Amino acid sequence: MRIRWMLGVGLAGAFAQVAQATQYLTLEQAQHAAFPTADEFRDAGAVDAAVAAKLGAPAGWAPRVFEARAGAKLLGWFIADQALGKSEMIGYALALDPHGAVTWLEILDYRESHGGEIRLAPWRKQFLGKTAADPVQLNRDIKNISGATLSCRHITEGVQRLLAYWAAALAARPE
Amino acid sequence: MSAQMIRRARPLLGTVVEIRLHGVAPRAADRALDAAFDEIASVQECMSFHAAASDVARLNAAPAGVWLDVDPRTAEVLALMRAVASRSAGAFDVCVAPRAVDAGLLPAPSARAPDAAADWRDIELGAGARVRLARPLWLDLGGIAKGYGVDRAIAALLAHGVPRACVNAGGDLRAYGAAETVYLRAADGSVAGALELADAAVATSSSGATPTHWRGTRGHAVAPGRSASVVAPQCALADALTKVALALTPTAAQDVLAAFGAQAALHDAAHGWQALARAA
Repeated sequence: MRIRWMLGVGLAGAFAQVAQATQYLTLEQAQHAAFPTADEFRDAGAVDAAVAAKLGAPAGWAPRVFEARAGAKLLGWFIADQALGKSEMIGYALALDPHGAVTWLEILDYRESHGGEIRLAPWRKQFLGKTAADPVQLNRDIKNISGATLSCRHITEGVQRLLAYWAAALAARPE
Repeated sequence: MSAQMIRRARPLLGTVVEIRLHGVAPRAADRALDAAFDEIASVQECMSFHAAASDVARLNAAPAGVWLDVDPRTAEVLALMRAVASRSAGAFDVCVAPRAVDAGLLPAPSARAPDAAADWRDIELGAGARVRLARPLWLDLGGIAKGYGVDRAIAALLAHGVPRACVNAGGDLRAYGAAETVYLRAADGSVAGALELADAAVATSSSGATPTHWRGTRGHAVAPGRSASVVAPQCALADALTKVALALTPTAAQDVLAAFGAQAALHDAAHGWQALARAA
């Protein structure tokens, strides 16, 4: 275990944004991860507005629905949607088998609309541990943040809505 | 940054869990990622406060004096819980759940009411992953299981030969193989500090405007606006010790932290940072 604390005490100084924008998977990567044997992802078009209204979906709700196919065979559905976190949009996707059971669920991307600010200098460095003599290298590519837990409640609600949409609008659709 | 970096995220443990791997070929990475995420999902199934079939839900409905078989991972977390609760004289106590229910933070888990006198000492561990309650009680492992899930994921990645990885469950984070910079968020959401760690875990807890943390089952509520970031060898330990660092005086907290090889940084708006670290 090696640790070095960098606890800024001075309030004046340079600022750096730690707003996050991370893409884990593109839509295409996610489709192939969810359905490795599919040879076609057929865009099912815009969601049925009447069904969306009946489900109490928020204005502008526009999940992207695809039929995953291998030749003539329907493997299931791939649906990508967005959920609002605290101050960020979370893109996620799920895969459903032909019976509407969730077989795959992952985050596609994550965008924080306004990041926290970090004061990089002046630091009153409180170095502890063996590496205390090393120069401080703040990693600008990877933003690990500890604290203020991001809730996935809105993703859970979004998944429930997509399952309800599947039952109401997609389940009965002929192959 | 390694060209072979792969990161993926899934909604688990009530938050977004991100796993980042370095130096692994894509197919091997997929296998390692699936194993690590599956391990976290299992921890969630065993220790969820909300899922009716979880070990925690079964214990929360169980009568006193009856042995229940639980998953070995649940038993491991309960053993660690007892160690931290004992060393902190109950400042960390998973039996604060009724206070969280009263505060509206958690739903009542069962119709069977908890004994008002119950605390962590009433959760007895038997041989072979068996648990018995000395009094009827409500427990919530939310303050330790998230970190434990991170530890299990790290173990899965190591077992798959991944040379460098970082698992971050909504701020409960553990990394190995290279130094990681981790920014620390204070209670007001601002990023006020950072740390560099390698082969270690960090967790942060903060107290909100309305009480979210208490010193044990009968102690005071933690004052609003405080945050504690704890670094420890294991993430479950870091997770649990954040509650100790918030609830105890800095001097008392430091004794507990040192006993587990951990360090902490406390933050509030009035005082800024205070390090609780004793050179090993």
